[in-house]
Amino acid sequence: MLTQRLGYTLLAIATGWSAVATASEEGPIYFASDVVPILTKLGCNSGACHGKATGQNGFKLSLLGFEPELDFRAIAHEARGRRLSPAFPDQSLLLMKATARTPHGGGRRLERDSEDYRMLRNWITNGVAPPRASDPQIIRIDLAPNELVLTPGSNQQLHVTAHFSNGVSRDVTRQAVYESNEPNIAEVGQNGLIETNEQTGLFAVMVRFGGKVATFHAAVPQTGDEKQQTLVLSQLEQLERELDSSFDQLLFQQWKRLVIAPSATADDATFVRRATIDICGTLPTRQEVEAYVADTGTDKRARLIDRLLEKPEYASYFALKWAEILQNRGSGYSTSKQRPGTTLFARWIRDSIAANKPYDQFVSEIITASGSQNENPPTIWYRQVRTQQNYVESVAQAFLGVRVQCAQCHHHPFERWSQADYYGLSAVFSRVGRKGGFADAEVPTNEIIYVKDAAVVFHPRSGHVMAPKALGGPQLKLNRYDDPRHSFSQWMTAVDNPFFARTMANRMWAHFHGRGIIHPIDDARSTNPPTNPDLLDALAKDFSENGYDVKRLIRVICASYSYGLEAAPNDRNRDDHQTFARFYPRRLSAEVLLDGISQVLEVPTPFAGGGGTFPTGTRAIELPDENVASGFLDVFGRPPRTSACECERSDAPGLSQALTLINSKEIQRKLTAKNGYAAQLASNKRSTVENSKDIFLRFFGRLPSRQESDTAVSFVESEDDAASAYRSLLWSLLATNEFMFNH
Amino acid sequence: MLRLTGNSYTNCDGVTRRNFLQIGAPLLGLGLCDLLRFESRAAVTNQPVGGKSIIVFWTHGGMSQQDTYDMKPAAPAEYRGMYLPIATNVPGIVVGERFSLQAKVMNHLSLVRSVHHENGIHAPSAHWMQTGHFGPTLARIQQQNPSFGSVISRSLGPRQSQIPAYVAVPKAEAFGYQRAHYLGKAYNPFEVGADPNKKDFHVPNLSLPGDLKLTSVNSRRKLLAKFDTIRRDIDSSGVMEGLDVFKAQALEMVAGDQVRDAFDISSEDPVLRDKYGRHQYGQSALLARRLVQAGTRCVTVNTGYWDHHNEIEKGLEEHLPPLDRAIWALVEDLEQRGMLDNVVIYCAGEFGRTPRINGHAGRDHWSDCFTVMLAGGGIQGGRIVGASEKFGGGVRERLTTPLDVLATIYQALGISLDTHYDDSTGRPVNIVDGGKPIRELF
Repeated sequence: MLTQRLGYTLLAIATGWSAVATASEEGPIYFASDVVPILTKLGCNSGACHGKATGQNGFKLSLLGFEPELDFRAIAHEARGRRLSPAFPDQSLLLMKATARTPHGGGRRLERDSEDYRMLRNWITNGVAPPRASDPQIIRIDLAPNELVLTPGSNQQLHVTAHFSNGVSRDVTRQAVYESNEPNIAEVGQNGLIETNEQTGLFAVMVRFGGKVATFHAAVPQTGDEKQQTLVLSQLEQLERELDSSFDQLLFQQWKRLVIAPSATADDATFVRRATIDICGTLPTRQEVEAYVADTGTDKRARLIDRLLEKPEYASYFALKWAEILQNRGSGYSTSKQRPGTTLFARWIRDSIAANKPYDQFVSEIITASGSQNENPPTIWYRQVRTQQNYVESVAQAFLGVRVQCAQCHHHPFERWSQADYYGLSAVFSRVGRKGGFADAEVPTNEIIYVKDAAVVFHPRSGHVMAPKALGGPQLKLNRYDDPRHSFSQWMTAVDNPFFARTMANRMWAHFHGRGIIHPIDDARSTNPPTNPDLLDALAKDFSENGYDVKRLIRVICASYSYGLEAAPNDRNRDDHQTFARFYPRRLSAEVLLDGISQVLEVPTPFAGGGGTFPTGTRAIELPDENVASGFLDVFGRPPRTSACECERSDAPGLSQALTLINSKEIQRKLTAKNGYAAQLASNKRSTVENSKDIFLRFFGRLPSRQESDTAVSFVESEDDAASAYRSLLWSLLATNEFMFNH
Repeated sequence: MLRLTGNSYTNCDGVTRRNFLQIGAPLLGLGLCDLLRFESRAAVTNQPVGGKSIIVFWTHGGMSQQDTYDMKPAAPAEYRGMYLPIATNVPGIVVGERFSLQAKVMNHLSLVRSVHHENGIHAPSAHWMQTGHFGPTLARIQQQNPSFGSVISRSLGPRQSQIPAYVAVPKAEAFGYQRAHYLGKAYNPFEVGADPNKKDFHVPNLSLPGDLKLTSVNSRRKLLAKFDTIRRDIDSSGVMEGLDVFKAQALEMVAGDQVRDAFDISSEDPVLRDKYGRHQYGQSALLARRLVQAGTRCVTVNTGYWDHHNEIEKGLEEHLPPLDRAIWALVEDLEQRGMLDNVVIYCAGEFGRTPRINGHAGRDHWSDCFTVMLAGGGIQGGRIVGASEKFGGGVRERLTTPLDVLATIYQALGISLDTHYDDSTGRPVNIVDGGKPIRELF
């Protein structure tokens, strides 16, 4: 079909891959496939410039060119037609601005002697052809190559071919737009040339042209002399022979591919602290540490995990996590009347987790909930999640692991989600009705959730009524008496659903490993690939095929080779932040840190607020909602529960955190409490050496080194006031990174 | 780059400056001119150490424009209120008689009398004026955009590394909308937590709990150095590194001299303290000057509640004289120290008040047309921008939006109006998003 477009000349590519055509100046120029990609490439329609919702200085384009008709109108008709001047094309404002011949806020984007300039100019000269339905449409773009293994400090040129509906294919390498997801590993120029840096690992390059997206994947293995490489690989193979888990083999597969050596296996003291924090949100006691270290059984890790999963702290800690994802929010504009509801929902979540309710059932009960909060607590999910936007975004982010927010207003720039997908999913919830309830200024409380007889959602641009549709899936088959939420829930929790089990598997992997296989965990996209797709698939399959058993999923993850590794890097995994070749440490979350301080100092934190006080000894991980005043929890990143994104919980360091550690009344109170640990140390009859041993086991789950013990002992014994000395000693340990991190 | 979660500074070009340098000019197809353009713009945004600061007087609750900066002496009694207009040192500019001290420095102050937005409820209006965006409603009250103080703090940082970049005296106000939201907690205001006019004023957030002595803090500090030895290379996320920096900074703030000195208002000459006025307004303004001098970038003084629905005269008699004195003393003090060109002064609240006095001898919420005051930092003084209608009410001339006001402030501080920060969904949001600086003020 090449002959249909006389303007195309064959471009022989030296490497010999398929012959494609390139645009030349004489052929017809199509607005959507020739003009718009230039605007995209130059950044004109980016979200920071004319592509933002308000446009820029009166000139508004569709974001990244997804709406050529609107763009044509803006360019050809608006601004009294000044933007184009077919009689004097070089005087067109479009070209004057782009070349900065008249002042342009965005500066010069285009050179006058460039091919892009000529293309735009010819389009103007040839009569400003609008986009027509009969124009060839872009069907897809292909990359060559699309997957490679590269070496550090090397180059690789990508070639992009666009395929059109009229059968024509042409090279659009120069017109496409490129972005690397790991600029530290590899960068990509706007000519499609990839340059790898010295850092090794996995990266992807997203390529866009005319609304189509393709992704190039590459691995950059560690390098070294041949002897060293062989050594690493043979060590990996030797370790691999001792494995009996198919999940671990998938980790090793990736390490061999990247010639990464995993860190050493963590010692028992480290592991028991790590697992207790991650499963129970709690520090292990001295006794728990000592018992675990003394245990000589070969299955001690598995038994530890089993034991931790049966503790009430496990249910409380994961209930806290889910209460955030499910936005069990207590705050309001004025006084809160939400506490009875948030308490019911928090209990329901905790009981579900304690009972190991299958995850599909847990989610279905929430999204199909009807009735009152007293008879059916999961209806409280609908209290915070109450608009079309909330329904779609919360469900997509929490259970399907995708962000579709963009598609509310425009086609998702990096994904296949369109407004039709967004509003189709919205229609699933269109008949959710509410009655009764007490309306305080923020959101009503105690509403009855029911299914209305009829309600529809319209596509915002076409105005069509949207039928309820699963995300990226089929239209739901419904008769007029069906609650679309049930059909949707059945689709979502089916064993072969492409999102549901994967999202949960990834979420839990991230909980224990500090980073998802897809990262961020709720942003699955073809352009944000998993760092170990086989592993993610295997975990998801195991999860869905075993009845969505959450405890089983946790056992699998905690038994993994990667979860048992040291945090300390070696020379062969120092840069690794993708393949879990070492444990990635993270700061204890706000609640766990506060509870940990209460625990080691033996002084509970009092919690008051929201119309009641909590019994002494209530732990931060047990609070029903976030509307319990605590400066400590706020500065250490307690989330406000206003979205389904786990990213609301922040571990960003801040000055106020350091100040809170140093001079907050609460910590000083805990240090000086009459019956607290500091007072006990000062008055007990044990030697200072014995005491320092107890302190280190309690704070860090390990014995002090000789030097640490000497420092502690000589400090305490040199001070006049033993109580004050112990307070200073304990404080200095609380403020260490070893205490504040799970490592 | 796929920046979908992080926050980063981007030019309109969509590349960070650092990235630009990494990629290199030839790859982007840019010529030398582009590179120079880039550099020059960078020179504007990357302020040298020093640069400008801002002191904000936030009239929380809404100050009546018609009794202060925008008098209507010719209007009927129920509009013009109880105060007489007085002349200022700028011919033709008249203010209310309770601003008699500001009248003496009017040549440094400019009034924008045509600020307009479309909400009449405190919280959403405060959000609008603090962030430039309408956002929360009573039904959805959470902050949705960062406050201008946080934007300034994020864009410029402190002028001196030990001092907080953004301070609220005595605490953050405006219904919570003076915070950083998606810019990150590090850019929230540091809240002083006490009234600087109190005799034994000290900063609770810097002071040690009652029974803890400075010597103990110093031994704690030494012990921490000995025990905080876990390998730092186990964490490559930056969190550990950041905590180390903040721990050192916090210990320095608590136990060191520099920051404590900045807050030590008692070391000021009592004569100067009297000039500012021995009230919360005056001493807050004086503290703000000390902080700015020490390197703080933005100080917001949240002093008083101006929501005068009933008996407005009583309320204004209480608030106007101290505010007047504080602003006047600050302007003269900064001028005498040669700092006035480096410090923007801004006085505004969430809205003004109704032109017509209501049945309770008060004025209600009014956002159709109200006044803000700007001075210093290179903003031209003695100017009037815009005008209200004959008896107040609507904008007669030159409608000015909250974003226009913020754009003016950013421009005065040297923050590039192209600056974008990614919101929590990764969408780049321009700091002024269409707002235009008020060119009459430059």
